[in-house]
Amino acid sequence: MIPCAVVGVGQTHHKSRRRDVSVGGLVREAVFRALDDAEMTMADIDAVVIGKAPDLFEGVMKPELYLSDALGAVGKPMFRVHTAGSVGGTTAIVAASHVQAGKHRRVLAVAYQKQSEGNAQFALGSGKGASLGAGGAFAPFIRAYIHRSGAPEHIGWKVAVKDRLNALKNPYAHLKIEDISIDKVKASPMMWDPIRFLESCPSSDGACAVVVTDEEGGRTAAAAGRQPAWILATSSRSEPPSFPGRDPVRPAACLQCADDVYRQAGITDPRRQLDMAELYVPFSWHEAIWLEAHRIAEPGEGWRMIDRGETELGGAFPINCSGGVLSSNPIGASGLLRFAEAANQVRGAAGEHQVDGCRTALAMAYGANSQYFSMWVVADRLHPFD
Amino acid sequence: MTRFVESTITFPYRRSLGPMLSAFMTALTERRILGIRCGEAVLVPPMEWDPATGAALPLDLVEVGPAGTVQSWTWVPAPTEQHPVQRPFAFAFVLLDGATTPLLHAVDAGSAAAMADGMRVAPRWRGERVGRITDIACFVPGEQPELDGDDTGPAAQPVEIMDYNARITYRNPVPPSADRAVELSRQQRLVGMRCPQCERTYVGGRGYCPIDSIELGEEHEIDLAHTGTITNFVIITPVQYPGQTETEPFARVFVLIDDSDVVLAYQPTIELPVADVRVGRRVAAVWASPGEEIDAGGGMGVSLGALIGWMPTGEPDIADPDLVNRIF
Ligand SMILES: [Zn+2]
Repeated sequence: MIPCAVVGVGQTHHKSRRRDVSVGGLVREAVFRALDDAEMTMADIDAVVIGKAPDLFEGVMKPELYLSDALGAVGKPMFRVHTAGSVGGTTAIVAASHVQAGKHRRVLAVAYQKQSEGNAQFALGSGKGASLGAGGAFAPFIRAYIHRSGAPEHIGWKVAVKDRLNALKNPYAHLKIEDISIDKVKASPMMWDPIRFLESCPSSDGACAVVVTDEEGGRTAAAAGRQPAWILATSSRSEPPSFPGRDPVRPAACLQCADDVYRQAGITDPRRQLDMAELYVPFSWHEAIWLEAHRIAEPGEGWRMIDRGETELGGAFPINCSGGVLSSNPIGASGLLRFAEAANQVRGAAGEHQVDGCRTALAMAYGANSQYFSMWVVADRLHPFD
Repeated sequence: MTRFVESTITFPYRRSLGPMLSAFMTALTERRILGIRCGEAVLVPPMEWDPATGAALPLDLVEVGPAGTVQSWTWVPAPTEQHPVQRPFAFAFVLLDGATTPLLHAVDAGSAAAMADGMRVAPRWRGERVGRITDIACFVPGEQPELDGDDTGPAAQPVEIMDYNARITYRNPVPPSADRAVELSRQQRLVGMRCPQCERTYVGGRGYCPIDSIELGEEHEIDLAHTGTITNFVIITPVQYPGQTETEPFARVFVLIDDSDVVLAYQPTIELPVADVRVGRRVAAVWASPGEEIDAGGGMGVSLGALIGWMPTGEPDIADPDLVNRIF
């Protein structure tokens, strides 16, 4: 397998409504930032991979066709990826796979959502009434986690505050709640018991793009003083939405995906060998749930890491220093944002929300009924554990 | 014979046009057609980027037409209500004077015999224009633009948003196993299919075990109890959207069926106020009365055929700390 690296990252300023741009204009903002970052132009790109959530969100069928010329993909291979909320992560993995297989040398991965053009609740409810929404679907999982772990209710509030404080350090983040506090989260309306409004992700317009290149491209960037993010491992797993005994708090597909990505990367002790993680946390309690389902914490211990402040920026194991999905949620792009933010951390390019000395990072996205998982591990060198 | 369920969904999408399309749409309300310069070319309709290279284009707009030349066409003998002209017409590539790329639009020429490559056409403008491509009702033969109805004049403000009522009708096949589950529910039977390999039971006519990839049929059917225990739940605060049917918080519960491993997920409740929903609560199935219309389409959070929901039995709660983990 050919080693590959991220050499360019770009994203839009995420907002509830980007009424100043078309869908094409929105996507191109992220693309040109990524190309500029990689010191490339569209002509340097061999293939384009695009991901977004279901077409019902914006009502644009086959956006991969509609956007091919906007993305400079005329005459080039163009691929559409579709794995629900995990799609942004899977898009990055498909791009990396093309390079790893030796099929293409420089691949552009793009993901976006312009939520303001439609309505997510409508789309998630297949256009019918009484839509559960994502919060309605996930609230029972969170109730189960709280019961089985014995976690106190302030854990959810704490994550909600932490991620919004991180967002204040991220110029691209959507939510900028200057006066965020435990009291403010606690006082926000109960949306899907036990999930409160401020424990939920926003609805955003936004896009993200990364340029993935081969070993030679990574070394060229490094020689020019532009630190690449070496992709040590990628993995995706899925499982059926329901069957008797399925545990959505600790999904088998998530555990398998994490095990696979760690094995490929040479990670035997993720808590010690990883410096940070960008995990897909659309509702605050998912931070605790995913810490455990990624074996970063033992079962029942994830919430204690949060309670001790270890997942804060500056803590022992920072999570979602960008502000995460809780601060910006252009659904289709949210997964790629996790992958891109992890890459920026190991590139030392995360700006104000940089984790000091970050050398290895995990990114994860999940989707649908907690059944699709995508992950990658990136590092500042190809063999960090030798 | 496979049965199909037809569904129609509609949604009012709101498009933000961006600076270039906004200028194009605003000009349409002024009965002007704009193209954009791209090197030597003039692209109509204008694009935000060079279609060949993806390079950004400066906002160098140029008025074209209004008349133009048909480059190619196809006849539509039987228009549907979604077509722009409600009598037989042509879709044509119209190269507007001054443009280098053709605009795809309708030509109302009366008959196919009146259509020809190279024919000259001009726009028939709608009197009431809102900043959409359909502000041009169609093109008509000749050099002179026409006006259809009273002229309401150009838009007062630049057109930046386009409302778009999307509608789609689609047909989903219903597997025979799902049909049978609905039919059995009409007989007030809650029937599961037990996988011979892993012994998990599936309700709702899934027709296969997703763990073992084994097809399940009538020989695997078992009748299940009509009572169970709430293991978990969600109270949903309804967000309003077009098509939303709920205005007040409503509950969806997870019911572990007695004497089985079956959990029915996201079930509606009946005669159970949301404040009284709790883990451990005993509930019984409520069936639609014979002849009552039922939703045979299925889906998450939707009733299962004639099993329309669950109501409290009045029995004491079950106290089992592990119940809450039985979501599926
Ligand atoms: Zn089985």
